Amino acid sequence: MSINPLVSIKDLKIEVRVTRAKRLSIVDSASFEIESGKIIGLIGESGSGKTMLCRSLVGTLDRRGAYIAAGQLIFDGIDLIAAKQSVWNEIRGKRIGYVPQSALAGPNPVMTIGAQLAEAILQDENFPKSDVEKRSLELLNIVQIRRPETVLKQYQHELSGGMKQRVMIACAIAQQPELIVADEPTTGLDVTVQAEIMELLKQIRKDFNTSIILVSHDLPLINEICDDIVVMHAGTTVEKIPSKLIKTSKHPYTIALYNSRIDLVEPKGQLKTINGQPPSVGNWPAGCRFSERCDFVKDKCRVKQDLPLIEIGSNHQTSCLRYDEIAR
Amino acid sequence: MPYLMKSQALRILIGRLGRALSVSFWVMVISFAIMRIIPGDPASARLGAGAEMEAIEELRKTLNLNGSIFSQFTNYVMGLLQGDLGTSLQTGRTVIDIVSSTLPLTLYLIIFSTFFALLLSIPISTSIAWYAKAPIVYVFRSVTAVILATPNFFIAMIGILIFTVRVNWAPVFGYDPQFPQNLKYLWLPILVNTLIMTSVISRVLFSSVTETKEEEFVETGIIRGVGRRRFFWFYILKPSMAPTVVLLSYMMGTMLGATVILETIFSLPGIGRELVNAVLTSDYPMVQGILLIFGVITVFLSFTGDVIAYLLDRRVKI
Amino acid sequence: MKLKTRWANFKDWIALPGGFGIFSGLTMLVIIIILGIIIPNFGPYNSDDFVGEPFAGPSLKHPFGLDQLGRDLMTRTFSSVGVDLGVAFLGVSLPLVIGTVIGIVLGLAKNKYVLSLVGSLIDGINAFPLLIIAVAMLTFLGSGLKSIVIILAITNWARYARISRTRAVIVSKQNYIEAAKTLGYSKKRIILKHMTPNVSSETVAYALSDFILVIIIISGLSFLGLGAQPPTAEWGSMIADGRAFLTESAGLILFPGLALCWSAVALSFIVEGISRRDRGI
Repeated sequence: MSINPLVSIKDLKIEVRVTRAKRLSIVDSASFEIESGKIIGLIGESGSGKTMLCRSLVGTLDRRGAYIAAGQLIFDGIDLIAAKQSVWNEIRGKRIGYVPQSALAGPNPVMTIGAQLAEAILQDENFPKSDVEKRSLELLNIVQIRRPETVLKQYQHELSGGMKQRVMIACAIAQQPELIVADEPTTGLDVTVQAEIMELLKQIRKDFNTSIILVSHDLPLINEICDDIVVMHAGTTVEKIPSKLIKTSKHPYTIALYNSRIDLVEPKGQLKTINGQPPSVGNWPAGCRFSERCDFVKDKCRVKQDLPLIEIGSNHQTSCLRYDEIAR
Repeated sequence: MPYLMKSQALRILIGRLGRALSVSFWVMVISFAIMRIIPGDPASARLGAGAEMEAIEELRKTLNLNGSIFSQFTNYVMGLLQGDLGTSLQTGRTVIDIVSSTLPLTLYLIIFSTFFALLLSIPISTSIAWYAKAPIVYVFRSVTAVILATPNFFIAMIGILIFTVRVNWAPVFGYDPQFPQNLKYLWLPILVNTLIMTSVISRVLFSSVTETKEEEFVETGIIRGVGRRRFFWFYILKPSMAPTVVLLSYMMGTMLGATVILETIFSLPGIGRELVNAVLTSDYPMVQGILLIFGVITVFLSFTGDVIAYLLDRRVKI
Repeated sequence: MKLKTRWANFKDWIALPGGFGIFSGLTMLVIIIILGIIIPNFGPYNSDDFVGEPFAGPSLKHPFGLDQLGRDLMTRTFSSVGVDLGVAFLGVSLPLVIGTVIGIVLGLAKNKYVLSLVGSLIDGINAFPLLIIAVAMLTFLGSGLKSIVIILAITNWARYARISRTRAVIVSKQNYIEAAKTLGYSKKRIILKHMTPNVSSETVAYALSDFILVIIIISGLSFLGLGAQPPTAEWGSMIADGRAFLTESAGLILFPGLALCWSAVALSFIVEGISRRDRGI
């Protein structure tokens, strides 16, 4: 635990309004920190609450009828839960950049790429208008887009999926933010393009010392570029582990996620899958929420209880009750 | 590459123009055919049973009903190319002359109503869609549904009951074409049209904005910190505008049809009332000419609407 | 017990999206149709009979009052139900059938020339505002409700044909049609059993909303004096007649107008309810 992390999330609880009276909690207890210049991988299946956690960092929970019900969310000493519009205006697009989910988003379809880059660049009110084009080309060069002059005049439907995502990254880094939130930035892209985008994010961290929070359901894909991995399951953070130590994970869910990959380099027979479906929001089991899918489950796991993250090594925390018995 | 891109947009626009021209051709064919597909001879029908053969023959000649269908059509098209839409049987004036003196009033009526309708719809529907408060949405949908289900002549009659019978603010008879005086006669019909158009436009814009605001790029815009005004235009309105513009161009055509009724009620000397008069007096060349004009204007409107929609949003298929 | 479950089922059905709209629209429609049957047929007056002093105000004997000729306004207002809704029903169902059939034929047709010829004809007809082309054709056919039905049949089909053709092309490319072909089903069977139900679900949906438009057009043409002829009671022509007597009695336009609105609003609630149910919101 560092003394002064860039982002500190503690026991965060996010709820969504289903009807006037009914509330459902989507994120129940999430805790982790992001240090300056680190890439954090936030891993989990769909419905684990990772996307909502991301939204809380950029203040757009209310768009989905969700809100922070409890906990702490601090960005560089600023309490984001209590943040007013004026505070967000200073943070969004300037200190926190955002790269959206690739399959759904992409650039605004009714603006040229150039106009959107200009928009991102001019978030800095003092930036001279005459230099906008130069800076746009520079940004497109950073994200390795070929023929940037042409791309500036194009619309999103004229670009490939990988190009769109590069443009989104270019917009996100326009103000050299301290943190980039990337929500499933490569889902739906070709495998080779996925690898290129990952490489690009790594390069950006190296060049600008930007912290990146990388949300994904594909642990093997992001493990290589991340410093730490935070694993979410059914609305809770179940393990935080340095990516180098991923093979020594002490949580059965992390192990299962890591093993369920398709190994393209050395296909080793059968593909492992995780038992059953992730528990749906609102139907979380008492006790360990992974208990119903876990190979290691014991009766004590099913008892109703809180399962906090336990420090079990340097920078390694897990919530599994049987961590000391798990070995591979 | 930019040249290629430009030529792609150009190709799409030229293709759309080609379609507009081909539809215009069919509009012409239909206006030509309308007098000829109905059983019986229009000339003898107009002159009545006791008419002399010579008079009927004379009228057949005026109406271009002699010779083969093909030569009749050639005559018709040749006439059109020289700006000849025929001569009114009732007044002896050329159709083109009557059209050009009555059409402007009708166009004013429609253009003003469209302008006011847009002015009202944009703030109403974007704010209702953006905040999506259930009771307000419900009221909005119900009120607009009721207005749309009400015929324009009934709305106009209620307007007259209130503003002409109770307080004499809107005279129903007579017309003064001079600028400030004509507003006295025009404001109520414009209000009726505006009310109807606002309901149509705001409903489409409402559902369009409702769809747009769920899109991922809107969230990206918020997080990028785009300023309020910019956000409203580039992230809400412009991406939602295309379906509205397409509908608007179509609605302006329909409104053109509806002015037939409005102009009759308010006794305004527009092209719509001229059409009704022509129908009631069996003035065939007038009916044919006005039908053609209406058709061509509608084709032109929908072409313009599609082009504007495409320029606003390149995703649109036209 | 059985009644109770039915009530519960009904309540569930209403709670679904659009349920309330469909229910209230249907109720409104049924009410006006029943009144439209009972009052002219079993009521005390005939719609054409002169039963009292012209412009007599509402009374117990004549709840809506009397018109400019001393006819019972309530009887006239409700005997229009059959005229307007009946003509509109014909004016929608004829184009619906014609347009759907032509659309399916076009969707299956291979001949390029026929396709582009009929296709352009459809675009050409649709280019005109419906009211305008109807007014123009009335010049040659002569005024009257019968002419209006004929005109709607020969012009409005084009809108249905466009919808039907688009749908037919999509359906004919779907797997189950291909499967039916490989199974050796006859073309007739494929068209009747597979194509028609699929296409017509779309055109019927359009017909419902078109019903409103057609009612408005029929009453509008009658308002202009081109539709129903005296002494037929019809909302549009009643309103037109009432125009001259606005100062004497506002009821002459208000009652037929409100009945007309009532019917159109009922239909529009049904249409909106169905569309909300389809979209599930």
